[in-house]
Amino acid sequence: MASIDSAETGFSTDLPPEIAAEERRAPGSGPWRIALRRLRRNKVALVFGVVFVLLVALSLSAPLYAKHIAHTTPYKNRIADTITVHGQQKNIVDFDGTPIGPTWTKQYFLGADRNGRDVMVRLLYGGRTSLLIGFGASLITLVLATFFGLMAGFFGGWIDAIISRCFDVMWAFPVILLGVALGVSLNLGGITVGPLSLKGGSLWIPTIIIGISYVVYLGRPIRGQVLQLREKEFIEAARAQGLGPWRIMFSELLPNLASTLLVFFPLIVANAVLLEAALSFLGAGVQPPEPSWGVMISEGVDLLTTAPWLTIAPGLMLVLTVLSLNIFGEGVRDALDPRAKIRMEH
Amino acid sequence: MSKIRRAIAALMLVAVSALVLAACGSDNSSTTSTSAGTSASSTSSGDTPTTSTGGTTGGTMTGYLTSSPDYMDPALSYTQEGWLLLWTAYTPLLTYKHAEGAAGSELIPGLAEALPDISADRKTYKLKLRSGLKYSDGTPVKASDFEHTIQRVLNLESGGTAFYLPIVGTEAYVKNAKPDADIPGIVTDDQTGEITIKLTKPVGSFANVLAMDFAGLVPGNTPFKNMTTDPPPGVGPYMVTRSVPNRGITLKKNPAFASFDIPEIPTGNMDQIDITINKNQHQQVEDVIQNKVDFVNDPPPSDLVREVNEKAKGRYAPYVTNSTYYVFLNNRVAPFDNEKVRQAVNYAIDKRALQRIFGGLLAPSCNFLPPGMKGYVKHDPCPYGDPTQAPDTAKAKQLIQESGAAGADVTVWGDDEALSKPVTEYVASVMSDIGLKATPKIVEGSVYFQTVGNQKTKAQAGFANWFQDFPHPANFMFLINGKSIQNTNNQNFGNVDDPEINKLIDDADANPDLDAVADQYAKADRLAIDHGYIAPYGNAELTKLVSDKIDWSSVIAQPVYNVDLTQIRFK
Repeated sequence: MASIDSAETGFSTDLPPEIAAEERRAPGSGPWRIALRRLRRNKVALVFGVVFVLLVALSLSAPLYAKHIAHTTPYKNRIADTITVHGQQKNIVDFDGTPIGPTWTKQYFLGADRNGRDVMVRLLYGGRTSLLIGFGASLITLVLATFFGLMAGFFGGWIDAIISRCFDVMWAFPVILLGVALGVSLNLGGITVGPLSLKGGSLWIPTIIIGISYVVYLGRPIRGQVLQLREKEFIEAARAQGLGPWRIMFSELLPNLASTLLVFFPLIVANAVLLEAALSFLGAGVQPPEPSWGVMISEGVDLLTTAPWLTIAPGLMLVLTVLSLNIFGEGVRDALDPRAKIRMEH
Repeated sequence: MSKIRRAIAALMLVAVSALVLAACGSDNSSTTSTSAGTSASSTSSGDTPTTSTGGTTGGTMTGYLTSSPDYMDPALSYTQEGWLLLWTAYTPLLTYKHAEGAAGSELIPGLAEALPDISADRKTYKLKLRSGLKYSDGTPVKASDFEHTIQRVLNLESGGTAFYLPIVGTEAYVKNAKPDADIPGIVTDDQTGEITIKLTKPVGSFANVLAMDFAGLVPGNTPFKNMTTDPPPGVGPYMVTRSVPNRGITLKKNPAFASFDIPEIPTGNMDQIDITINKNQHQQVEDVIQNKVDFVNDPPPSDLVREVNEKAKGRYAPYVTNSTYYVFLNNRVAPFDNEKVRQAVNYAIDKRALQRIFGGLLAPSCNFLPPGMKGYVKHDPCPYGDPTQAPDTAKAKQLIQESGAAGADVTVWGDDEALSKPVTEYVASVMSDIGLKATPKIVEGSVYFQTVGNQKTKAQAGFANWFQDFPHPANFMFLINGKSIQNTNNQNFGNVDDPEINKLIDDADANPDLDAVADQYAKADRLAIDHGYIAPYGNAELTKLVSDKIDWSSVIAQPVYNVDLTQIRFK
């Protein structure tokens, strides 16, 4: 295996000799361009990246589907109503409480739930909710983890001690337990901090809870990387030029953390979507009647035998989303730094 | 290639995780169910006598409970599971007929010779103990045991304490917390067996209170502590010989009971009843269908109702309980302080829809009192339309417009239990349909009723239900009596406070002659519905489900204790 010097490409890597030689020959190749080229070569990652984009597009189209195709909303209960499917009049929910199965027509394409709501409509709206929370929470994680990781790693001393001990305490809590504890209490009474007030049931509550829950999982690796970087010559040079600590942190260190953050982001989104599903399943995340995949799985469990689609449909969407994000994330990691052993550990 | 393999492996891993996620919320407990499944097998004895109606007595019946009884001590138990079992082993001075339907609500003498002799001022009850009674351990029953029984209820801070506080001196007894102190309102004579109970005020339902399991007699030397693991002896067709919390209970026939010759109380058909706690309701149903177990207490889960209907024909039937499910509407908080808005909700709720949420196990109703209760007079026609027909949504919308409450924010409260959550979501959807802006709020089940029962919460509307403690309308009507409104732990969730209703209930509550005041309760019920103070939608149904070995005619759904274990017998 040939090794390309990091000074040459910006990213250290191990590559097959022919590819390494090709990359060396490419004129004016910056590190990002090389990474993009590597990502393009990773067909599996690209395919799953496209799958994810499709899922996002589908979820974003939820209001259009609901209004123009299914002619309903994700909240509309139609328990005692009937519909005509292929010329036959059918109960949306049967007398024994069993909802209608997939009709494969415009209305109730994937069947109904216990409350007579269109599962397909709720699935798309649920995707919107789950992805919104996933991205929102990941951004919160990214900002907080970067800030605290930089502070702890760069300043060291008592600041590092305090932040690291806080990380230790958070690390000691199983993330689900932490999420459930916060979710149950905040969803009941909401939260008011100074001028900021969130009502119980607001989507911001699970977003913030999940975002905070994962800070430690990103903050620690960032701190470790900053500890290494702060001893490098370019930091010494910056100090010698008289740059202040904040300037060094944000103009010298932060750009060097970009690849790490980029690698972590899709993985955090995937984990955040999973955690949202778990919290909602346990009643501590998204609150009814707002649909989310976790809420839908939870609602379907009681009817697993007679109406399995209620659980399978959101379960499959969850699997696809998490899988596509994970594989695409791995592709990004391989493109940026194939030797890296970055993993979300929890 | 390796990436594809990794992708497949990851796909499988996430799929398995999703399935685990889906499975972890069910009631299934594989450990419990495995042990229960292997231990539960019916062993009816071979040479058993045949009853006059064709079944056979003797043998061991097996059964499943989903939840362990809260206590296996009559002073403490306050759950259906506990009462189902304890009724067979602890007979109070008064009890109920072992009969199905309205007949089962009739009070009969239990260990007392006759129904109480009530004084003209309705404050003194005189009873006389039957002679020759003995506990299952052979100890003679004394009149003074009754006072000890009530002392245990009060001293152990039982959930039943409030029922006995009308007895003179009980409040001081509770306050002083001295177990052996005398309760002046209970005077007993061990020689004659006479028991005199004095009340501070007339309580029309006090005879029913005497028939509650809390008052099931125990010996005078029974310790003042929870006796769940070593239940005290009692007087009943059965005796508790094994009680292991969360595992099971064994009832054995009390050989001495038949000799007491107490009229209208069966002496028991089975020799032994083995109850196993099995949290896996799916396994319970499968086992009873396959005749591996003889009796299950809980209704089948909603996803198995169809299968049970098909496979257990002739040994499965629902029956209506003395319960009411309703939506409370807070009369003190807008918009439900407006009668038109309350009536609009009553018009809009589709009781057929709610029946389907209950898996069919709900009898739609327009009354607050359940049909098995004296004082029940069916509102016919129901002011809001036939409960078995489609709702009048147009009328509901019109009322909302007239009230000026269109677009008003409403939070509909419910808990996260299996029925409450979909019902709450449905009610919120209905309210939104008629012009309000409603959102459901789901709260964890263990704190739900405290939350909506706290005036600070100002809960506008929400899920509520009530199952009788005893078959007397007073046990329901206090829920809509203005005098029962409290700041915390309020059970009159809607703060219903109508002077006319209050007076009707108060007058009726003071009269022990239920037949004479039944129409007053009926009138109060009617007024509550007419004014839309609450929105009742039905009475829950429970089910009788037994194995093929059981004589179906012996399976009696007693309105207070549900399936009467003393009468069940094999074919």
